Amino acid sequence: MAGGMVLFLFGAITALLSLRMPIGTFRMAGAGLFPLCLGILLMVLSGIFLLRFLLKKWQSVKKEEFPSEIPGSAMQVLFFMGTMILATFFFKILGYPLVSFLLMVALLRILGMKQWPFNISLSLITAIASYFLFVQWLKIPLPKGWIGL
Amino acid sequence: MFESVQQLASGFTIATTFYNLFYCLIGAIVGTLIGVLPGIGPIAGIALLIPATFGLHPTSAIIMLAGIYYGAMYGGSTTSILLNVPGETASVITCIDGYQMAQKGRAGPALAICAIGSFIAGTIGLFGLVFLAPPLAEAALAFGPPEYFSLMVFGFIVLSNVTGTSLTKSLMMAIVGLIIGTIGLDPVTGDARFTFGSVSFLGGIEFVAVAIGLFGIAEVLTNVEKPLEMLEQRVIVPRLRELYPSLQDLKKSITPILRGTGIGFGVGLVPGPAPVIATYSSYMIERKISKHPEEFGKGAIEGVAGPESANNSASQSAFIPLFVLGIPFAPPTAILLGALLIHGVTPGPLLISQHPELFWGVIASMYIGNFILLILNLPFVPLFANILRIPKKILLPLIILFCITGQYTVNNSVFDIGIMLLFGALGFLMRKWAYEGAPLLLALVLGPRLEVAFRQSLMISHGDFGFFINRPISMVFLLATVLFLVIPLIRMTLKKQRRGEVKQ
Repeated sequence: MAGGMVLFLFGAITALLSLRMPIGTFRMAGAGLFPLCLGILLMVLSGIFLLRFLLKKWQSVKKEEFPSEIPGSAMQVLFFMGTMILATFFFKILGYPLVSFLLMVALLRILGMKQWPFNISLSLITAIASYFLFVQWLKIPLPKGWIGL
Repeated sequence: MFESVQQLASGFTIATTFYNLFYCLIGAIVGTLIGVLPGIGPIAGIALLIPATFGLHPTSAIIMLAGIYYGAMYGGSTTSILLNVPGETASVITCIDGYQMAQKGRAGPALAICAIGSFIAGTIGLFGLVFLAPPLAEAALAFGPPEYFSLMVFGFIVLSNVTGTSLTKSLMMAIVGLIIGTIGLDPVTGDARFTFGSVSFLGGIEFVAVAIGLFGIAEVLTNVEKPLEMLEQRVIVPRLRELYPSLQDLKKSITPILRGTGIGFGVGLVPGPAPVIATYSSYMIERKISKHPEEFGKGAIEGVAGPESANNSASQSAFIPLFVLGIPFAPPTAILLGALLIHGVTPGPLLISQHPELFWGVIASMYIGNFILLILNLPFVPLFANILRIPKKILLPLIILFCITGQYTVNNSVFDIGIMLLFGALGFLMRKWAYEGAPLLLALVLGPRLEVAFRQSLMISHGDFGFFINRPISMVFLLATVLFLVIPLIRMTLKKQRRGEVKQ
């Protein structure tokens, strides 16, 4: 249901934004014609999807929409995602070696690696190895940041 | 035919140069690793390694990337048999009987039959590719914009029909992919679309970021969501001397291998996630025609031999539509299309005549790659099995680090990492809500081509939509599309009617 609503909204926004572009004619299509058609098509399909869902609900056919076999930890996912976003934000500021080290420390910790000495040594080895692989061997220009490596 | 053999011989001289052999070996090893390691599949794997090929000659680059694709098919079976966890989706079926064999102490023969079957299938599949691709390329010269448009629409509908649980959901995903594909400069007029004044959006959304996000990051997040104790599993590691199948095993397997090869080759030519459909079809057929169907699910070697051969054969023949028509029918070949375009090679009917060294070199390298994989996957299976002992709580952060680094190297852009993370989160939610990522990715890669074909067709016909029906080849594709849309509806109605009759 939520997915269908998001898609309907996405289709509507696409169609509205397309209308601000030149539409042209079928003979000489403008930039907005193709996305406009797609936006409308998405609205129609998601509309059908929502309608069918509501009809099923109305007929009281109980069906689990989001089957979840395993009780999951949403917090773990949120922490993981948050760490990745932070790493991306500081990627250029702190530089690759430092970010890769901190990223590994944080992600290992989130996944339950609680012994600090092991966590830090593993992160350090990974950061050094990936630095030598990408920067020294493959000569990929990764951000140096303030440590200048 | 003689010309094809001659060209193939010249392909072997290209593929056997030191550098190409080296990249073929690297591709096969990385592919096997990607197949073995749960958490990263061939799509994200190929996408991640595209930047590593930037400095290479296009032929060497595609040799390596193709090696990753079919290498992953080989490696995927290892985790299915030893862990009951498929390394990639095409190995799901192998879990059924493969894991049962491992439980009975027959992991060695199961792995050996997988490797032998995959080798035979890969070899036969390659001969099919050699002899089928050139005549098909000649036939494809008759294709104009309306034919390409109709073929792509047909591809989307078939892919949507066979992936996921709902046609509507898959179709919606394809449309979302097409919409995302319109971001950036309009390919005909040059107008900026959905860029919101940002220069970063002008070049469009990087397909590598979408692929890694949807298939790499999302997979990791799905694993992270599981309770910590579920992240670890017991691995059965076979000894080298246990790897040889008995004569009876070989006798039982040879016909399923040949049947699987035929099924896989045919399925690879049509749109859809070919290796997945091929393995499923092969398993069902083997069980149906078996004299002992009750053994299936309890460790029947035929249930491993057939599907594993089918998935390899399908992954080889999937190269035909990519090379000959320039239209990939599945996400891994869509990523390879993107890689070809990055290297300045446009696949299509003229690829064989304009870039014979690439076409024949890659084909010959596939044969060599199959041989390398046979060697890799038999004696080194215990080694790959030991890799599975790396705890997931170490493996998952490593995959994330590689994804972020790999994505940055594509354009040296932090913005692209952001896009990758966004699609990672989106992919995670899509998995929860049972939406498929494959139609979205394929539509994103093919979207700009579809739009150009659509607009060119309308320009040629002065806005007349009848043009798509008046051209015979285009009409056939559109008719097939309608059939693919209507048949599931008829089936559903009939099912409902039957259910109603039973209730009465």
